[in-house]
Amino acid sequence: MITITKLSKVFRTEELETKALSEISLTINQGDFVSIMGPSGSGKSTLLNIIGLLDSASSGSYKLLDQEMVGLKEKSRAQARKENIGFIFQNFNLIDELSVFDNIELPLIYNNVPSAERKSRVNEIAKILGIAHRLKHFPQQLSGGQQQRVAVARALINNPKIILADEPTGNLDSRNGNEVMELLTDLHAGGSTILMVTHSDYDASFSQRTILMKDGEILSEKVNHRNVDVLVTANN
Amino acid sequence: MLKNWINIFIYQLKHNKLFNILNILGLSIGIAGLIFATLYWNDEYSYDKWNPEKDKTFIVMNNVGKGNIFATNSAITAPLLKSSTPYVDNYCYFNDYYTKETVQYDGKIEIIDKIFSAQKNFFSFFPFEFKYGNPKTVLQEPQSIVFSEETAFHLFKNENPVGKQVKYADKMYVVRGVYRIPGKSVVMPSAVTNSIEEDLEKQKDHWGFNFGLVIKLNKKSDAPLVAKSLDEIFIEKNYKRQARKEGMTLELFIKTYGEPLKTIVIPFENSRLITGSYPFPEGTGNLQFLRILMGLSIVILLLSIVNYINLATANAIKRAKEVGVRKIIGATKGQIVLQFVFETALTMLFALLLALVIVEVSLPFYNQFLNKELVIAGSQFYLQLVVIFILVVIVSGVFPAVYISNFEVLNVLKGNFSHSKSGLWLRNSMLILQFSIAVFFIIGSIVVYQQVQFMVEKDLGFNGSQIMNITFRAQKDKEQFKRYQTIKEEINKIEGVEAVSAGAFAIGENWSSRGGLHYKNIPEVLIQQLGSDFGMLEMLGVKLVKGRFLTEKLASDTISNVLLNEVAVEKINEKNPLDKIIDWQGGKYKVVGIVKDFHYYGLDYEISPMIFFHINTQKWTQGNIESISVKISPKNMQQTISELKAYWSKKVDSEYPFEYNFLDKNFARTYRKYEDQRNLFALLNIVVILIAVFGLFALASFSMERRLKEIAIRKTLGAETNILLKELSKQYVIFCILGFFIGIVPAYLLLQKWLKNFPFRIDITLLPFFLAFVSLLFLTLTIVLVKAYQVTKVDVLKYLKYE
Repeated sequence: MITITKLSKVFRTEELETKALSEISLTINQGDFVSIMGPSGSGKSTLLNIIGLLDSASSGSYKLLDQEMVGLKEKSRAQARKENIGFIFQNFNLIDELSVFDNIELPLIYNNVPSAERKSRVNEIAKILGIAHRLKHFPQQLSGGQQQRVAVARALINNPKIILADEPTGNLDSRNGNEVMELLTDLHAGGSTILMVTHSDYDASFSQRTILMKDGEILSEKVNHRNVDVLVTANN
Repeated sequence: MLKNWINIFIYQLKHNKLFNILNILGLSIGIAGLIFATLYWNDEYSYDKWNPEKDKTFIVMNNVGKGNIFATNSAITAPLLKSSTPYVDNYCYFNDYYTKETVQYDGKIEIIDKIFSAQKNFFSFFPFEFKYGNPKTVLQEPQSIVFSEETAFHLFKNENPVGKQVKYADKMYVVRGVYRIPGKSVVMPSAVTNSIEEDLEKQKDHWGFNFGLVIKLNKKSDAPLVAKSLDEIFIEKNYKRQARKEGMTLELFIKTYGEPLKTIVIPFENSRLITGSYPFPEGTGNLQFLRILMGLSIVILLLSIVNYINLATANAIKRAKEVGVRKIIGATKGQIVLQFVFETALTMLFALLLALVIVEVSLPFYNQFLNKELVIAGSQFYLQLVVIFILVVIVSGVFPAVYISNFEVLNVLKGNFSHSKSGLWLRNSMLILQFSIAVFFIIGSIVVYQQVQFMVEKDLGFNGSQIMNITFRAQKDKEQFKRYQTIKEEINKIEGVEAVSAGAFAIGENWSSRGGLHYKNIPEVLIQQLGSDFGMLEMLGVKLVKGRFLTEKLASDTISNVLLNEVAVEKINEKNPLDKIIDWQGGKYKVVGIVKDFHYYGLDYEISPMIFFHINTQKWTQGNIESISVKISPKNMQQTISELKAYWSKKVDSEYPFEYNFLDKNFARTYRKYEDQRNLFALLNIVVILIAVFGLFALASFSMERRLKEIAIRKTLGAETNILLKELSKQYVIFCILGFFIGIVPAYLLLQKWLKNFPFRIDITLLPFFLAFVSLLFLTLTIVLVKAYQVTKVDVLKYLKYE
């Protein structure tokens, strides 16, 4: 689904040239749940932004669904983003001025889905995520976990090919964090492709694969085992 | 999508109530001003729109040089033009005034205002609708009269009056028709006669400029050729003949008497909005006022739009996150632009509706002010409204929308965007623009106030406070002057009457008689001729500079002695004018006195050269006695007036009611126009300052609240309040000063232009500029310091913890 080869990102200021990513190669297949870990400044967020088409690479190749994304114009990137990618952010990035319903509905509006269908789809996903009773509320009236559920609902509403999560539990307490991780696991079990950036080993353990980054390079890649699930559930 | 946009719009509206309300209010005042100006404009342009002849018709006027334009013409020119050139299809002479007279029918007397006289083909130029009678023939026979529907109803009720006889101006007229005026026109008479034909016949060889003239051309493009032909006719029939009579060559004659006049031929269509002389009795529209109103409302609207743009871009930073999220989720730039333009459109819709309410509520006052009957109606008006709306939305909406849609998604979502300096230069320059507009208005109102005050206080050179002018109508076969002399004797006996006199002129009314005066080899001086009975100038309190007034003791004072005013003396260039002989009205006259200049027409006009003479000196002027002036004692005024009235209706005129005007009142009328302008300017000034103050407050609030964290840090580090205040308000003082210097230039130039309207005007001093500077700086400091003080009282912990 995603094939990255020798991808580099260089930030230039007048005096300084910083390599945020240097010649990274990575493949993510359909149905994968991959987490990226690494210290601050290791380039993991930059990588996520490039994959999410929010940022552009300096060189190398990034193929999304066999289409080359490097060198694409902003307009086509926006188009590809709109169709294929769902985002979940650390700080949720919900629009405070819109109700939960309106927030979730937004991607459908921009994809020209007719009104009646929008309504049924929002209701459906809200039911799945357990926020159906919150649809009329505004984000500020919700707990952090609920807000992140709304954000997840919004990310999913459009049936994206891949979900990008940037520290989805970073602003949540452990209980709410857990809920969100379970949600992601469930999504993965349902066939979704997920790429997640995280600081937390615990969160990363939910995924199939963990990629460790440092100084813009991939240090290691390891395959996780799901045995921790049982342990945590027991502890709870 | 619309629902989503509306939701967020309503949220923003609710959460910024005060700012939004003030913003909408400012915008609606600006739009209301523009609507007012538009209504006025439409009204002025609606004159004679209905008239199918308008595009073929041309008005003929005469430029006699030195800025004097006669709207009237000689009876000689048009017939000659028609017979000697191929251009003219038809012409029509008419009187350039309405008459107010009594019309008698069946023993009943009605006073009819707006009686008009024109040649028989008048209705082919102004094709009114005819209820009775045939427009082609109604004015064919001599002594014919036609009435408007309303007037006919007054006189005849619902009868068909055609063929009936009425008495008007001591003659019998036959009613030939009844018309209805289809729309606004520069001629809207209540009755039309053809009595002018007699005058034209009498004056057919006379070069007196007494008649309005319109012509219909075969080809519109012939207008310049017509003007040229008329100029030639004037030289041929007037100058050449006079030169021959005086035994001069044409060149010498021109050198002595000045250049011949230049004919002006202007299209009739939309001629109402020309400035200056105009032959039609409904007069011209006040184009200058219209322009001022239009200009000022656009400036106010601009000011409100600037406020709107400022607040919208400032607010945009708060909404950066929303925009970022929308973009990530899939909104295109176009969609974001559309969303924000849509919000602007909604805001403007509110403002527009409010503006319509304002207009509806204040329309009666506006109508009173303009002396009009404007209404909000007509498809043209609504179309203009839509255009105004779209223009305002584009001007105020597109810019902030594009600005917002250009936010970088990544920057926004990284969360440090709210402190960016984005759009700062724009808002600051807008603020400077607002300051300069405010400066313009403050200076403007002060200067306008000073000028109007100057006019109100200026000594006019005569004292009219106790003088009443009683309308004195001519009667058939009786000499006005003889009648006056009898009346004078009788009135003088009434208690409270201090003096009685009469003249062939009326101060403060807009008509006068002029003639040529010659002295030595000085070019002809066009002089205002003021004939009167003895004692007139003394009664008016006009001062004497040299010599003496005319007196009944000297017989020669009614034959050959005259007085001049100072302007006339200056024109004939004579240091010692007393006892000098001048040529005037084909005779020699001796100057026995010099009168100090006084303002015959008020301060709107230059003082003309004037000649004063006894009314017996020029017998023809006796017919021009239209009123008798009576000076009455301020004690028991009402008593005196009622006695005068009783005498008048018994002995002088039993038909026409006793009608009088105090001279002061005549003058007050001529000032009202400017006092109105002053009040309008003062009102607009308040509006502008309020809008500007609000803009400043909003912007200062906004940018200071952005700096709360900085202030919190500074306070933690030990900054004192007054240092912080200085820090916060410094930039606004600089903007204020910059705005001041930008604003004074157009203020000075435009006010100079406005003052040029007044022959008697103030000089622009430094005072208004100084006052404007001080008051603006004071306002700025007050607003900014209040806000800054509020900001420095911020809870330090709150901001240090959260950011």
